[in-house]
Amino acid sequence: MKSVTQSLFAFAVLAGVAVSGASAFAAEVKGAAPSDPALVEKIRQSNAACYGCHTEQGLKAPPRADLDLEKLRQLVHDPAQFDASNHAGMECTVCHGQGYKAFPHAAGAKQSISECGECHATKALRIETQFEASVHAKNFKEQFTCRTCHDPHAFRVAAKLGDPHKIVAQDNAMCVGCHNSDLRFALFSASVTPQKVRPDLDTLHAWLPNTRLHWQAVRCIECHTPTSPVKSLGMSHEILGKDKAEKNCVTCHSQETALATRLYRFAAENGTADLGFANAAILDSAYVVGATRNPIVDRTVGVLFGLTVAVLLGHGALRIALALIRRRRSS
Amino acid sequence: MSHRIYLLPVWLRLWHWTNAVLMIVLAITGASLHFAGSGPLLVPFSLAARIHDIAGVALVATYGFFVVANILSGNWWQYVPKPPGVLGRCWRQAVYYGWGIFKGDPHPYPPTVEANFNALQAIVYWLIMYAVVPVVVVTGLVFLYPQFAPAKMFGVDGLLPVAFLHYIAGSVVILFMLAHIYLGTTGVRVTSLFKMMITGWHEE
Repeated sequence: MKSVTQSLFAFAVLAGVAVSGASAFAAEVKGAAPSDPALVEKIRQSNAACYGCHTEQGLKAPPRADLDLEKLRQLVHDPAQFDASNHAGMECTVCHGQGYKAFPHAAGAKQSISECGECHATKALRIETQFEASVHAKNFKEQFTCRTCHDPHAFRVAAKLGDPHKIVAQDNAMCVGCHNSDLRFALFSASVTPQKVRPDLDTLHAWLPNTRLHWQAVRCIECHTPTSPVKSLGMSHEILGKDKAEKNCVTCHSQETALATRLYRFAAENGTADLGFANAAILDSAYVVGATRNPIVDRTVGVLFGLTVAVLLGHGALRIALALIRRRRSS
Repeated sequence: MSHRIYLLPVWLRLWHWTNAVLMIVLAITGASLHFAGSGPLLVPFSLAARIHDIAGVALVATYGFFVVANILSGNWWQYVPKPPGVLGRCWRQAVYYGWGIFKGDPHPYPPTVEANFNALQAIVYWLIMYAVVPVVVVTGLVFLYPQFAPAKMFGVDGLLPVAFLHYIAGSVVILFMLAHIYLGTTGVRVTSLFKMMITGWHEE
């Protein structure tokens, strides 16, 4: 994560620019979509100029004849996806800089693309400590930026996604994007000597029952991150390798399930809570053996079990006692 | 010398003991999964899950065998309580278990080649084997292949009603097993009925 420290420096340098030139978007940078109609329209028009080329539509019908279409193909975005992302409502140039205002884009414009830490400075500082301890930092520190995993044009934080199925789909796609692709894995592993061969995910997880079901139901990071010591960060960015990853099923499969403070941290309590289920918030999306239990039913079954054993033992003891008495009398 | 009658063919005894072992394994591992994290006596979760899956599939096979063999051999007829006076015979049998057995009374309806079970036994066995165990088997299969579970039922994840039925039906089978094993001690001698389940010969 070379970017974070550099980003903080860049942030200080660019602070003046942000205050003077980009102040119109300051509120949007903090996360809230703009509400001023004039500003919304200005951003829409500004972004439309970018989308003129950087979309599938732009690729199919290029507005200019001098575009390098092969290069453009790598830089295509989905406006709908962006509008649903955390950065919705932001002008492309907030991150991509003024060098992209005109075409051909300015030489060195790429170098002026803002780093995440320029806006997310506090978070980046907290994340950096965790990232430094992660398996990614150990092997590929210089190659990893926030964008390696988090596509700023698409990413949505779990709190905004809400639906656990959507959170799982988005977050696991980040992991398997590399860990299930020889091509992409090799982009990173090429720098390691000896070059690391991508391990097969199914083989690695052979110990895990219902592997595929787990991948659909929970995020890789449920097991591959420790509990975040920073309260404001729901999940740690210390990605754990297979040796340190959670292998104790009961961490999730119990009434004190870690899922309640991880994947289901933002899940709203639903009506099933009235039925007395433990971890009822999970039930809306999944049934988790050991976690989503009903203590009332469990107690009822336990009492029935205890009564049955007591009656049978009592019946047996009485039979034995009376049989002994009969035997004594007859002898 | 006591009188002996041959009641239980080999296939039935083999099925019975296979079924018994599977049910016990499934009960222990099932409880370990459901009450995971509740105590040190439980089988570790991952191991319990694997054993439960394997034993569950074996139970599906043995249950299928039981149904088919019962049809082919005609043994299914033993599970049908024969009128008239079914309720009266059930009552008499219950009174025996609750009173007569303590006085050393003889069994009111000792097994015969024609009727292996007394009326109460036939009804309970029929309910367990043809109503409760199928629920366990079917819900267990859905658990094994959760992709076939409905996505949602009653506003919650579709697997919850399946799991709930599996848990309740499984618990009923376990309660039945406890009573079944205990009643196995009510033969001429404590071990007589267990011996019968091994040799096939009933001792009177």
